[in-house]
Amino acid sequence: MAGALTERDFVTKIERAGFTKIEILERTPMGVDDCTLYPLFTTDVLTLMRTLIPQDRQQTIGTAIVVRAQLDA
Amino acid sequence: MTATTRDLMRSAEIKEIVRSAYAAVALSSETVAQKLYSPEQLAQVPQVSIEGALGVANHLRHAQIDPGETVLDLGCGAGIDTIIAAFRAGAAGRVIALDFLPDMLERTRAAAAEIGLTNVELLEGDIEAIPLRDSSVDHIISNGVINLAPRKARVLAECARVLRPGGKLTVADLTVDEEELPPEIVTHPATWAG
Repeated sequence: MAGALTERDFVTKIERAGFTKIEILERTPMGVDDCTLYPLFTTDVLTLMRTLIPQDRQQTIGTAIVVRAQLDA
Repeated sequence: MTATTRDLMRSAEIKEIVRSAYAAVALSSETVAQKLYSPEQLAQVPQVSIEGALGVANHLRHAQIDPGETVLDLGCGAGIDTIIAAFRAGAAGRVIALDFLPDMLERTRAAAAEIGLTNVELLEGDIEAIPLRDSSVDHIISNGVINLAPRKARVLAECARVLRPGGKLTVADLTVDEEELPPEIVTHPATWAG
């Protein structure tokens, strides 16, 4: 999560790599509760998230997106 | 994320954090797979891959994988997407499962062997330097992996290099809002791997 880009930056990088017809097909909010499903998030970082992230942001700390693109022919 | 926070960890350090975290992670829960995949998809997949699912979405719902295609699964992990894609690519196609962790590749190998799939090839390597020839792949899939790479532009350039002209990219990944998370979280090693 710490290395994730904004959607705009991610799409820009895909475009710069030479891809076209870029479509965002899904956007799914990811909150602190979703992070608990992943064993990579340790208890201490989950506690930090619940403590430091304002309550109203905890439901969407990131967004899982699905992107489809095609390499220029 | 600002340049300052991004600069707090260098590329090699981030890679080592990610490698160590994934090497140590206990993969024994179906919760991620059950959340993301349909019962029909999961019915195709051995338990060893279901319990190792760590993706962020079900990009294969949108991936038009045609029989006979050569598919590259970028950061295959325990192999759930590799297995589903291998069924779609069929006997005339193949899925190259790329990961930098031998343990993950072993899970993918075991899953493919368990159900007799012969069109899965394992490849150990770094997604920033994909060990494949230029224009050798028809379709690249990836699920929650690119955000882990320190040099994302490099990863995408590598994708463009190994794809044939007109080749397809179908990826799921995590993005963040413009508003930053607190620095204590952004700099925590667990959030670079998670």
